[in-house]
Amino acid sequence: MASKANKPELIVGGKRLDGRAFDELRPIKIEAGVLKNADGSAYIEQGNNKILAAVYGPKEVFPKHDADPTKAIIRCKYSMAPFSSLEGHGRSGPNRRAIEISKVIREAFENVVLLEEFPNNEIDIFIEILQGDGGTRAAGLTAASVALASAGIPMKDLIYAVSAGKIGEEVVLDFNMIEDNYSDADMPIAIAPRNNEVLLLQMDGSLTKQQFEKAVDLVIGAGKKISAIQKDALREVYAKIERKYENKE
Amino acid sequence: MMIQMNAIDYVNSKYVRELASKKMREDGRDALSYREIRVAKGLIKNAEGSAQVDLGATRVMAGVKMVLESPMEDTPDVGNLIVSAELLPLASPDFESGPPSPESIELARVVDRGIRAAECIDLGSLLVEEGKAWSVYLDLYILNYDGNLFDSGMLAAMSALKDAKVPAYSNGKAVMSERVAPLKLNNVVSSCTFVKIGDTLLLDPTGNEERAADARMTIETDGKVIRAMQKGLSGSFSRQEISDIIGAAFGKHDELKAHIDKG
Amino acid sequence: MKSIVVPGEQIPGNVKSGNVYVEEGKAYATVLGLYDEEGKRIITLEGAWNPKMDETVVGIVQEAGRNNSYTIDLSSFRRGVLLLGKFSKAEFKVGDVVEALVDRVNGKKEVILSNPRLLRGGVVIKIKPTKIPRVLGKANTMAKQISELTRCDLVVGSNGIIWVRGENTALAISAILRIESDAHVSGLTEKIKEMLVNNTTKRS
Repeated sequence: MASKANKPELIVGGKRLDGRAFDELRPIKIEAGVLKNADGSAYIEQGNNKILAAVYGPKEVFPKHDADPTKAIIRCKYSMAPFSSLEGHGRSGPNRRAIEISKVIREAFENVVLLEEFPNNEIDIFIEILQGDGGTRAAGLTAASVALASAGIPMKDLIYAVSAGKIGEEVVLDFNMIEDNYSDADMPIAIAPRNNEVLLLQMDGSLTKQQFEKAVDLVIGAGKKISAIQKDALREVYAKIERKYENKE
Repeated sequence: MMIQMNAIDYVNSKYVRELASKKMREDGRDALSYREIRVAKGLIKNAEGSAQVDLGATRVMAGVKMVLESPMEDTPDVGNLIVSAELLPLASPDFESGPPSPESIELARVVDRGIRAAECIDLGSLLVEEGKAWSVYLDLYILNYDGNLFDSGMLAAMSALKDAKVPAYSNGKAVMSERVAPLKLNNVVSSCTFVKIGDTLLLDPTGNEERAADARMTIETDGKVIRAMQKGLSGSFSRQEISDIIGAAFGKHDELKAHIDKG
Repeated sequence: MKSIVVPGEQIPGNVKSGNVYVEEGKAYATVLGLYDEEGKRIITLEGAWNPKMDETVVGIVQEAGRNNSYTIDLSSFRRGVLLLGKFSKAEFKVGDVVEALVDRVNGKKEVILSNPRLLRGGVVIKIKPTKIPRVLGKANTMAKQISELTRCDLVVGSNGIIWVRGENTALAISAILRIESDAHVSGLTEKIKEMLVNNTTKRS
């Protein structure tokens, strides 16, 4: 969170700066199967976020001593393109933030991917933030979930993530960059929609217990919409091809 | 003995060699043709300039970020250009995470040399006051690999520079949210890469053709003179072959420049 | 009726086996697939190859070991193993393309192969293994049609590798790639035939 000295008014007349209601998501667009070489891939736009996720595998673990003879391992790499932020040029290579984010995303997927089906193998997940606008880890996870499904990786669920937090005393969903910078609490959460189990949760700032409960309610409420967009993206891959033939006939 | 390359790539590089000996290519192109080129500019609004280039199945994104810095001590009157390239692991099963590979460094440096030598960017226009100038950070992001990163990288780099706008500067500070003028360009450079397989020369090699290649030659021109050259791989070229390649590179400049200028 | 299901989606009826996760008596899909209501099964649309006995595979000799034994790259997370023994007449070189049958999968998840045959020259392409049944077609009609209309020899491996050699290799490959991307469309055999006939007549 940035310094509070120049904190702008984030809520004016009961609305947020971009005109959204407190419980409103930014527009989300997901496309599956966008990269040719990857075994699975997805592109997501959420607000001004533009993010690519790709999956390779299952494939033999290299180096071999990292392999687990009982199940597959997941490797996850989240990174931000050096040109992805308005302010400044990001250095390339993973920093401490990116390494931590990669770890918590990996752990979320370890919960749902049926790892026992591929002993001694690895599944690689790459998340590239081409343009960042707040909530990139959550949007990246939502896209990676679609990429895994499009790679045919068996999973118990198609998981999603979104952040909720607090501006002043208002509990608010899906921060954009400026809200993210000046909010009073930020909490990205990943959920398995089948049973609403929490698979990723990070938080900083200040929340009362009631505000926490409210924030989780907002996430799960929005999750229905995100899940539907994820499913539509996967179905659209096939529907698009069918339309190609219908138009011809 | 063990195959080091991916086994399918190994078989297919043998196949494209056999085709090349009959002056044929796997996708039916003739030796001097490019694959389909598509350029999309301005996709990344946070960057001062951006472009995505599809060259067949190869996809490269270039982003330009401008940063206010002190000029270099030996060139106090001009801004800087810093070019980097990343062969992202999502682009190919052969690309690995980790520190920049020699291949990615060579790619960035060869693209940098052509842009610098052709004086494409008016670096003098980047000085905002004594001791302060814009540095141009140009990053090439490889998103899908199917050969010829040099030409696709240069197309993306030049297109992103064409798209770039300089941020506002007021009261001694950069105002990144406001962009005032297009980045001043004086010249356009294009890149033409050939591989040699046996004694056949092929423009715009695919991934299979690059893996089968004995030697590679990149010629960067601005249509009038040669601005940069780079020979790669362990094979060799005759003087005549290089002359022919240079001639072809001049012949392709207008076609490539049209893609850079468009949009 | 067939409908697309995604991981975590509850299956309305019951499913005989595979590609589902059962919890509290409810079945959920684990893969992106087509739910076939009549057949009570989920057909995977994407994903890894699952070897079955006596299936044909195409692979590339990756390593030659002692006693005429070979490691075969099947472009799968499972490696192929060919154990021919000292007295076998067959012999392969690293880089050879071979056709073979699946004998079994051993405890190390290696695919033990038998009846190898060398495939000389030609090119191999890799497509998603889940699309191989479509490339073969009912009673191999699709593969036969491609072979005849492009004058190419084809060997279609259930592991997703297809070997092609002959007159109009580029056309055969583009037909195969089209089947891969359009596999779920009905009446594909006729559509591919149309594409092949149009392209061959244009050329001559």
